[in-house]
Amino acid sequence: MEAPPDSRAPILVIGAGIAGITCALNAADYGAAVLLVDDTPSIGGLMARLDKTFPTNDCSICIEAPRMYEVGNHPNIEILANTTVKKANRKNGRFAVRLVTRPRYVDPEKCTGCGACIDACPVRVPDELDGKIGGTRKLIYMPFPQAVPNVVLIDPRCRSGAMRAQGACVGGCVVDCSQCRECPIALCVKACQKEGKDAIRLWQAATSRNIEVSAIVVATGVMDVRPSRGLHGYDLYPNVITYTQFERLMNAGGPTAGRIVRPSDGRPAHKIAWLQCAGRGLAGGIPYCSKVCCMVATKQTLITKEHDAAVETVVFLNDLKACGKGFWAFHEKARAAGVRHVKARPYDVVEDPATRNLVLRYEDLETGELATEEAELVVLSTGLKASDRNEGLARTLGLELDEHGFFREPDPLAAPLETAVAGIYLCGGATGPIDIAEAVVQGSAAALKAVLCGSRKEHACPTRPA
Amino acid sequence: MSDPTRVGVFVCDCGSNIAGVVDVPAVVRYAAGLEHVVFVDEGRWSCSVDALARMQRIIREQALNRVVVAACTPRTHEPLFKATVKEAGLNPYLLEFVSIREQVSWVHMHERDAATWKAQELVRMGVAKAVLLEEGAEIRLPVGTTCLVIGGGMAGMTAALHVADQGFGAVLVEKAPALGGLLSRISTVIHGRREVPATELVRAAAARIEAHPGIRVFTGAEIESLGGYVGNYQLAVRAGGVSERIDAATVIVATGMREIDAAGHFRHGEDPRVVTQLELEERLRRGDRLDGVEDVVIVQCVGSRNETRGCCAIGCAVAVKNALRLAADGAGRRVHLLYRDLSLVKDEHLHLEDARQAGVRFLRFPDDRYPELLETEGKLAVRVHDLLLDRDLELAADLLVLTTAYRGDDSVDRLKGLLKVSANADGFFQEAHVKLGPLDFPAEGIALGGCAKSPKFLRDSLEEGMGAAMRVSIPMKRGYVEAAGIVAELDLEDCENCGLCAKQCPYGAIQLSDQREPSLLQALCKGCGLCAADCPMECISIVHYSDAQLAAQVDAALAERPAEKIVGFVCHWCALGGVDMAGVSRLQYPPHARLIRVMCSARVPIRLVERAFERGAAGVLVAGCEFPTCHYITGNYACDKRMERARKKLAKKGYDPARLWTLWCSAADGPKFAGAMREMVRALGLPAHNGSAASSTAGRAS
Ligand SMILES: Cc1cc2nc3c(=O)[nH]c(=O)nc-3n(C[C@H](O)[C@H](O)[C@H](O)COP(=O)(O)OP(=O)(O)OC[C@H]3O[C@@H](n4cnc5c(N)ncnc54)[C@H](O)[C@@H]3O)c2cc1C
Repeated sequence: MEAPPDSRAPILVIGAGIAGITCALNAADYGAAVLLVDDTPSIGGLMARLDKTFPTNDCSICIEAPRMYEVGNHPNIEILANTTVKKANRKNGRFAVRLVTRPRYVDPEKCTGCGACIDACPVRVPDELDGKIGGTRKLIYMPFPQAVPNVVLIDPRCRSGAMRAQGACVGGCVVDCSQCRECPIALCVKACQKEGKDAIRLWQAATSRNIEVSAIVVATGVMDVRPSRGLHGYDLYPNVITYTQFERLMNAGGPTAGRIVRPSDGRPAHKIAWLQCAGRGLAGGIPYCSKVCCMVATKQTLITKEHDAAVETVVFLNDLKACGKGFWAFHEKARAAGVRHVKARPYDVVEDPATRNLVLRYEDLETGELATEEAELVVLSTGLKASDRNEGLARTLGLELDEHGFFREPDPLAAPLETAVAGIYLCGGATGPIDIAEAVVQGSAAALKAVLCGSRKEHACPTRPA
Repeated sequence: MSDPTRVGVFVCDCGSNIAGVVDVPAVVRYAAGLEHVVFVDEGRWSCSVDALARMQRIIREQALNRVVVAACTPRTHEPLFKATVKEAGLNPYLLEFVSIREQVSWVHMHERDAATWKAQELVRMGVAKAVLLEEGAEIRLPVGTTCLVIGGGMAGMTAALHVADQGFGAVLVEKAPALGGLLSRISTVIHGRREVPATELVRAAAARIEAHPGIRVFTGAEIESLGGYVGNYQLAVRAGGVSERIDAATVIVATGMREIDAAGHFRHGEDPRVVTQLELEERLRRGDRLDGVEDVVIVQCVGSRNETRGCCAIGCAVAVKNALRLAADGAGRRVHLLYRDLSLVKDEHLHLEDARQAGVRFLRFPDDRYPELLETEGKLAVRVHDLLLDRDLELAADLLVLTTAYRGDDSVDRLKGLLKVSANADGFFQEAHVKLGPLDFPAEGIALGGCAKSPKFLRDSLEEGMGAAMRVSIPMKRGYVEAAGIVAELDLEDCENCGLCAKQCPYGAIQLSDQREPSLLQALCKGCGLCAADCPMECISIVHYSDAQLAAQVDAALAERPAEKIVGFVCHWCALGGVDMAGVSRLQYPPHARLIRVMCSARVPIRLVERAFERGAAGVLVAGCEFPTCHYITGNYACDKRMERARKKLAKKGYDPARLWTLWCSAADGPKFAGAMREMVRALGLPAHNGSAASSTAGRAS
């Protein structure tokens, strides 16, 4: 799809999850120029890491990757990964923004993503996302196979010398990497040169860019809540994991190639328990319902059953949230597949040191009685929270956050997706906990707001009626 | 006479990624010997800027009119090479991409000879197809700037306003006498702890609509006829006794929903003390304070969360809002809310706290034991089993409020036929894709939003109205819809007017005339090839994936030692994604398969499968997206059924049907593809070492 780029200033979309991607594609297909910024090394957001998606069990990356490639190839879209918005000043009805791109230590023009450097790198570290379930990456790595841009990056700890003890090949010189323009030591540099590319730039520094944009869409998304240490045994017992970690565990593209095994011994788990609303209302948890967790658990139990129908699955939940098209039928499908649901309030989780199984004590909400259940793996559904970078971004953009850290809409009933600043709009998890379809709807809607704003005269951007 | 077909082959080393396993010079020599090939180049990095410039120079200097690139994967790099070829002045559809990294060097790392041979054969297949390639072009259909919005509720009004605010025309058709839809029957709307009178919101939107010069409003209107497709919709609408014909370029469907008929539930309709939530809302809206009502019982999930229908999605929040109102308005009034699960999300729990504070009593009943209505001496009561107490209770009810399920508007049945879209049993329209196409219908230029799709809150309906406006505004702003060059072509000479093609096309791109003669709107075609594969008279071809081209690939794959080979047809979107993922993950599997890319598994006709067996293939694999995903909505389902038929046909012809395999593989599932390869090779009893060809330096393969 080609459309002549609009001569007007581009639209800035901050956050490149499915909401930001949808927003960018809609605006770009409409004819607007779009800058799509994400502060991680690849676009894709949370959805790129999911296995399947409720309520249809469509494979997540199968449906998202084509959109990601479309963004990457769109003549009207420029992607700025690893980039943060540092300044945004209102000026003549536009925004003068300053974008700072953190170094990848790799020249994106030269890197072809071939991976020779990764093979050469001697140090393997736990992966940010998958570390708990055995996922590792090298110090030079590709964020994930379908990453866009498909360019490797280097863990900054490697240059600073922090990884020497782990066997890193660089970081022990008298001069700092930023001083050198050539590196005779780094194995990745050698491997890359051997391939004839010479794409690695250990001395790379952050770059910044000042640009005027006509409108801004904030699409900073959601994050899964990390349980505080000790919550239902998390961080104490290896076989207590979060629902995101479980999602990675069942993903064929994840660290175990889709085998649902226990972190403690790598053996298949025969009985798995899900604790819904884990940490809700407690310190470190969230007070509200994230509305996706019930369906996430339904999906996860169903897929577990599809992998191996003999695995026992039990979900301890409070109120079942099945309020979406096809959600109830999805839940019924799980029930028919033998998934057990118990209305419960969990008290504690204790590990049996011999088996490393977990014993759960809970109050059965239907009988009021205390009961126990043993499981080989426990999954904590901890909910969705706002991006932890929202606070800084709100300050930069002059926006307010609500008490949970999501962006505030002054009048969500009369003017949803609008903020107190004309020309700045919201979509996706920036507005609150959300599922994929809703994020896509909002992405299209916010794109319309933004292009309308871009095509209007000064101060005429749609915003809340006075 | 010199050969008019001049093929150039560009083989990439990908540094050592390909060259480290595959003997690239041998591939180059082999390619040079193939018919029509006039130039072969080896590049260290074919995708680098300098290599691309070199490729363009060679295309011009050698006057190439076909280009074969043997490199990584078309899923990521085809657009780049297409653009390069185009810049060199060649039609980009004359490019063929051969994957010798993901399909060869990364997955057969320890079988260098077999890998080289496979790379050579893949190049041969690519060249065989390339010589048959035709020029393709983006096909456009002009689209005007008028949008028809059906339904004047909040979603429809919001959509119309956002369409018209861009300077486009909007025609808003509402069957009721006034705009506003459901919201004009409701008392208040809540968000967080804010409560706003619904009238205010309706009035504000309607006033803007009526004042907008770009919007024509028909209220009390009846759609007399409606038909067409993007850029070309015709509507006849009757309002105020006058009929009018209107042309529109695009359509937004926002017909909303209504409560299900509650008759039969708790004597609704017979006893005036039994009302639905909407009836209660209407009373509250009129300022009725329900004096004299001392005992209120609200029952949730009436007609929902059962075998036939899902969760009503909004009932819990609505019920809590009204329970709070009833409790707060009447001193001493007892309000019981009987529920199964409280579906309150985000900040809605704040209301729950308020309602509890106001004295509303919440009572949970089991899924399988619905409350019952009792009447003694003219007084109503409800018997409910309280889960917590594990006991039956009887609650007096001066007013019994039913939180019912919802269903689509009564006009949906007719509209779905006129617009050629589908809806579920409850009359809710079916969107194109549950996750990524929530505002679209499969055909372009027609969108949906609001409660016409499923029950939702006001805020979500407004967003959908805006989003739907964006979806139809894209073609209106551009002035056209466009199909990529991969489209169907009809040749009606042998057509027997069976109508199958029109019936099957998921995009409404094939229309039947009154004589049942099909015609094709290429701009609406997505090129899946379902029609082409199933046309009994073989009247339909797909540009870039014609039968002849695919057959040439099959023949080239099986030219040598066919009995050791598997011919695989893989869909571009997911199955090839799985193949690529196996490559990226360096999963090693046996090298017997020769893969042929199709856009959708639905493109693969039975005759092509038969052809492979006739040519001596050991096995055939047809691989598409894992259910329920399909880039073309349901192509893989159609393919699955067709391959069942293929097995029967094969058996009749004396081939073992077990040699035809199907695989439904997600783009993330490299292990599944690699596993299937191993399994097939084992089951077919193929020699483990599919070693180097005698012909690795061969000359002309005929
Ligand atoms: C375990 C799990 C399973 C799930 N399963 C499903 C499911 O099956 N179906 C379903 O519908 N939903 C599911 N969800 C929810 C779904 O993931 C989200 O609805 C969806 O991904 C939200 O998309 P988004 O674009 O709004 O946010 P995100 O995907 O979070 O994307 C936001 C992007 O913005 C970037 N960003 C954040 N802050 C900044 C900043 N200041 N500057 C620049 N960039 C920034 C982030 O790096 C990220 O890339 C699941 C969630 C979890 C945790």
